[in-house]
Amino acid sequence: MSLVQGLNLLVASLLLAGIYAAMAVGMTVIYGVMKIVNLAHAGFLMMGAYFAYELFERFHIDPILGAVLALPAFFLMGIAVHWLLIRWLPKSDTPTLASLLLMFGFWLVLQNIGYIFWGNDDLAINTPRTLRAVSMGPISVPEVSLIVFIAAVICLLVLQLLFERSWFGRSMRALIQNPYAAQIVGVDDQRTSRLTFGLGTAFAGFAGALLAMIYPFSPEFGRNFLLRAFVIIVLGGLESITGVALGALVLALVETFSIVVVPASYQPAISYAVLVLVLLIMPKGIAGLLEKKWRTA
Amino acid sequence: MADGVNRQAGTSGGASGLSYWLKVLLPGILLAVLVAFPATHPSPDTLKLLFITAVWTTTSLAWNLLGGVAGQVSFGFAVFYGLGAYTTGLLMHAGWSPYLGFFAGGVVAAIGSFVVGVPTFRLRGPYFVIATIGVTEAVRVIMNNLDITGGSSGYRILEDRAFDPREHYYTALAAVTLAVVISSVIARSRFGLALRAIKQDEDAAADLGVNPYFSKLKVHAIAAALVGIAGGIYARRAAFFYPGDVFAFQTGISILLMPVIGGIGTVWGAVLGGVIFGVVQEQLDARFPNIHLLLYGGLLMLIILFEPDGLLGLMRRAARLLRRKREYPGSKNPDEVLWGRGGVAGRKL
Repeated sequence: MSLVQGLNLLVASLLLAGIYAAMAVGMTVIYGVMKIVNLAHAGFLMMGAYFAYELFERFHIDPILGAVLALPAFFLMGIAVHWLLIRWLPKSDTPTLASLLLMFGFWLVLQNIGYIFWGNDDLAINTPRTLRAVSMGPISVPEVSLIVFIAAVICLLVLQLLFERSWFGRSMRALIQNPYAAQIVGVDDQRTSRLTFGLGTAFAGFAGALLAMIYPFSPEFGRNFLLRAFVIIVLGGLESITGVALGALVLALVETFSIVVVPASYQPAISYAVLVLVLLIMPKGIAGLLEKKWRTA
Repeated sequence: MADGVNRQAGTSGGASGLSYWLKVLLPGILLAVLVAFPATHPSPDTLKLLFITAVWTTTSLAWNLLGGVAGQVSFGFAVFYGLGAYTTGLLMHAGWSPYLGFFAGGVVAAIGSFVVGVPTFRLRGPYFVIATIGVTEAVRVIMNNLDITGGSSGYRILEDRAFDPREHYYTALAAVTLAVVISSVIARSRFGLALRAIKQDEDAAADLGVNPYFSKLKVHAIAAALVGIAGGIYARRAAFFYPGDVFAFQTGISILLMPVIGGIGTVWGAVLGGVIFGVVQEQLDARFPNIHLLLYGGLLMLIILFEPDGLLGLMRRAARLLRRKREYPGSKNPDEVLWGRGGVAGRKL
């Protein structure tokens, strides 16, 4: 591998990390606040992809704008799903059988809705910019990837601000750290859960629309990303958006550079191998590893 | 039938005379009927349907051991099904007896279960569940690219003797009987008690001397072995299979759906779910090919929201309504009749 090749791969993995972070962050906040593994996240990603596709095909709305429009649309959808399904679930510190099966059932329904409306062929969004590339010296990147990366990073920064500065963000963090103490000091558990679920879903739709600009998609779209999202959560922890970004970067680096040694068709096996390795070596993620180093030093 | 199922599933000790005899006799009679059934010269289709139902029910019982009794949800049982199928196929190709092949398929699947269990069972939280979603995907892409099994184009088993539907039927019947026996033994053993304790509260179970890690690994391996055997039996009859079929995510969904429909955590719930699913599934898939995921998903959500104990729970509810009319207050708690001494309170979902 030459230096230029290596640099190109490095840039590619950085760009990939941006979209991965946007994809995982929705699942992270929902898991953190409600301790629900949102298996329907994959379904929302898929729906986001078709949302951008339909807007583009019917109204010629640029998919980037489509992704931004997906935010409010999927936020409302998330609120509705919470009202219909989630709020009936018993509360628990760990994911319950009921919550897993419920969200899984919902994911199946979403998939089937996808099949009914769009069939099971792979679709893609083709804009004039799809095939264009941006070159900076020896490094060249697809223009779409760059735009997607910028959009993802902007959204993550906004989310980070919301998380750190607003009362809603503060309630979310309180619920993540200690749900009982949070309620004692007056955090409205139900309301925060509802908004969090809306937020997580909004990000799923947003990320789905962004992913649709890069990858082809079908109603099964999202299943592979579900595992990736979880690897990122395990790597980065639940405490911060920064953790998610860090986890996404590590996964993107591993995936991109593994192409040099492993054929691309083995990609799902690679995410799984990363998950197993991480769980075996550092079950507390990157933060846990750093903490350990800190203590022994 | 309904009453019989209800009675058998309950009373784990100190049963009254009548229900004790029902508990022992009814499964015996059922088994005798099933064993004698081919003597009535049924049509090949009927025998095939019974075969498929028996294979599905075996996997349903296996899932129930891990998911229902120990409370560990797995979406990845398709991996064990496929491992059993391929092991049996490869060994039969190498000249082994198919029965040794089934056994080896079970062993390979049990070993495979550690790949998922060892990294995830030590940790609290949803690690296991997510790993089971990923593992199907990972194994399928490997099998799709593996040369000795023909990759994605599949594997064919060639047998140099005449196709005998009865033999296939009896092997499947033997497998499902084995699964019922293992499930019943575990349900009544200390090990089963330990698993139920883990399901309710892992920390409390650990405090009482249960090792959650080893118990979960053990029951996962037992369940995987049963599914592997079922996969091998299926593969021998089908004679042709490919990764997109036996390792499909869909297979894992089906295996999970059966015990949920019938009633999570009970032996006869898993059997009931398996039988209903086995009989209905092919017709359903054929008649509504476009909405079967919608049906499965919707059913799953309805069950979780309204009757988490599945069909058995529904029957129990009906039985309670009927009983309320004629029995004096203070009669035996119907929950206890069905679920044993822990009652329904012990069935936190």
